[in-house]
Amino acid sequence: MSSRDEIIEAVRGTLGSNRANAATVRRDADALLEELTAIRPDLLADDLVEAFIARLVTPKVAATAERIADASELPAAVARYLEARGLPTAIALQPAAVLQALDWSGFELHDRVAPDETLAVGFARWGIAETGSLVFHSDAETPILANFLPLHHLVMVRASTVLAYLDDYAAATAGQRPPRNVNIITGASGTTDIEGSLVLGAHGPRYLHVVILDESAEPRALQS
Amino acid sequence: MSAPHATSAAASSSKRDARPIAFVSAQALRERMHDAVNDPHLRKSFRGAMDFLMAKRAAQFPDESELDSLRTLSEGIRQYSLSRLPDLLEQLEAKLTRNGVQVHWAADADEANAIMLGIARRHAAKTIVKGKSMVSEEIEFNHAMHDAGIDALESDMGEYIVQLAGEKPSHIIMPAIHKTKEQIATLFAEKVPGVSYTDNVDTLIQIGRQVLREKFEQADIGLSGVNFAVAETGTLCLVENEGNGRMCTTVPRVHMAITGIEKVVEKLEHVAPLYSILTRSATGQAISTYFNLISGPRKPGEKDGPEEVHLILLDNGRSQAYADEQLRKTLQCIRCGACMNHCPVYTRIGGLAYGTTYPGPIGKIISPHLMGLEQTHLLPTVSTLCGACGEVCPVKIPIPELLVRLRGEAQSKPHDNPVMVGQGAGYSALASFVWRTWARIYARPGNYRMFSWLASRFRALTPSRQSGWTAARTPLTPAPRRLRDMVRDRQ
Ligand code: SF4
Repeated sequence: MSSRDEIIEAVRGTLGSNRANAATVRRDADALLEELTAIRPDLLADDLVEAFIARLVTPKVAATAERIADASELPAAVARYLEARGLPTAIALQPAAVLQALDWSGFELHDRVAPDETLAVGFARWGIAETGSLVFHSDAETPILANFLPLHHLVMVRASTVLAYLDDYAAATAGQRPPRNVNIITGASGTTDIEGSLVLGAHGPRYLHVVILDESAEPRALQS
Repeated sequence: MSAPHATSAAASSSKRDARPIAFVSAQALRERMHDAVNDPHLRKSFRGAMDFLMAKRAAQFPDESELDSLRTLSEGIRQYSLSRLPDLLEQLEAKLTRNGVQVHWAADADEANAIMLGIARRHAAKTIVKGKSMVSEEIEFNHAMHDAGIDALESDMGEYIVQLAGEKPSHIIMPAIHKTKEQIATLFAEKVPGVSYTDNVDTLIQIGRQVLREKFEQADIGLSGVNFAVAETGTLCLVENEGNGRMCTTVPRVHMAITGIEKVVEKLEHVAPLYSILTRSATGQAISTYFNLISGPRKPGEKDGPEEVHLILLDNGRSQAYADEQLRKTLQCIRCGACMNHCPVYTRIGGLAYGTTYPGPIGKIISPHLMGLEQTHLLPTVSTLCGACGEVCPVKIPIPELLVRLRGEAQSKPHDNPVMVGQGAGYSALASFVWRTWARIYARPGNYRMFSWLASRFRALTPSRQSGWTAARTPLTPAPRRLRDMVRDRQ
């Protein structure tokens, strides 16, 4: 008998008559999730995007964030970021259509990310307000190495895709065939492996800046 | 199957007996613990680190009742998953295969290493870069590769340090916590070409980052562990903070993942709460920096990702634990390390003294299944049974209860139908005679009266050295007057 059959038979054999029927199984699985919704922690603000931003800028997540009202404002936001830190204008740009469509004149673009890349601009599919997380999916347009290698990682995410909790993401994608790789990122890379002291920029980016594309932002800005 | 326990135990034992995994003997275990306790340096670094982790965890759970609900839920999810284990394993295999992942099954460490060596040989691999994986430690993967002339390089900062030093991890989450920054500075200066001594932690990490960046590019294969495997979608979940794990699983052409068979859960929605309680219990983080969900190799048109993905599902004694309803709870573990951080024994002796891959309370309950009781029968006794581990365990494993059960399995008289490999390995005819005699005396008031009368009469004859008992305690001497006599006098 192969090891596979031996292992499966060993665990199946010992379950004996304890195997529940399909209906009970389904009920049990769902009941578990009902409990979950009852004990979700509070968000930092009522408004999802505000809660998301508030979380992003906490010392624990240690990211920075800003809002723009239209995607066309992204290159200017990137330019401001570079200027404030005295960084070169040669940047890696993820080949996502939303990003490629913008006017990047004044920048030197490349889409292949070098191992010592200074800055890469990418696009996240979802944001998670509870934890200040960004969710990336891999595909032909969004290679994931761009998320791993640069020292500075600039990410655009749509306000309409900010969800309250991580389990909302699980629920939103339930039943779908998953992409090859889902990358959930919360803040900058870090390690406490030497004497427990936190050092940022372990193997991944040291700085994370999130630009939230909030098409409703402008009227709100006018009100205030 | 009429006697499933014996069947599965025998099945795995016949394969496992062939290979004794390096382990410290009973004598060595005592000596190591002694050395550790007498090392003020080590005690200080562990005390400090564990206090830090305990405080961070506590800050994550300000509300007792909320914590309890979350623990109950997590326990429920783990028990539910285990109750469907065979079905979920089959589903996981089918979905992963559909996604293009090659699934392998290994009954024991040797088989797992042979499978991975086979993959490495097929790709003529010279270097394997590793993300953190306790299972790879469990099967002594690095050794096996070394013997075959293949370099297996750790890329988690802590694991990298431990590997440079030629040591083993002392904590499942913080592998190098037993080392001071000065020791690490000296180590780097000696072992990393072109590096001079610096004890600046930031610089040390930057050195590690630079060295390892190159290795990711050069490596032929990346190896990782798995925190959760989702059956419904065929997805492998990896939790990390540094970002080395996702490099290992993305940059090299081949990705091999290895995990124990117990890690499978039904769906992603069940992973979310487990993930949340894992990071909060382990490092006191609301969420880890990175969470990667891998569901297959590179697709046509994609610019990165491995061309080949393999998953090795390892039994290595887990089906033995599974066969017994009480011992099955051992498999609920999500490897957060909280039980270690809160253990008064672990905090004092550190992780290396145990001599097993998994130290601390979780090590004491899982190692007997992985290695057999012959080598591990003393482990369940390295505990005060204070109960702290069971109280903090996010999936409510009754660790103290399991320790008592394992003591029983280890010390009972060997019999024909054992639930565990090595049952009775700690059996002593003398000890058992003493306890049986004591039970006979204690169970009958007449006997006990006579015994206590004789004992106080002849107390001068009690030896001052009572073998193991007096090694660290004062001798047991009967009182000059019995309690019953004292009471009678007062009336
Ligand atoms: S036994 Fe519980 S506390 Fe210990 S590592 Fe496993 S899940 Fe964590």
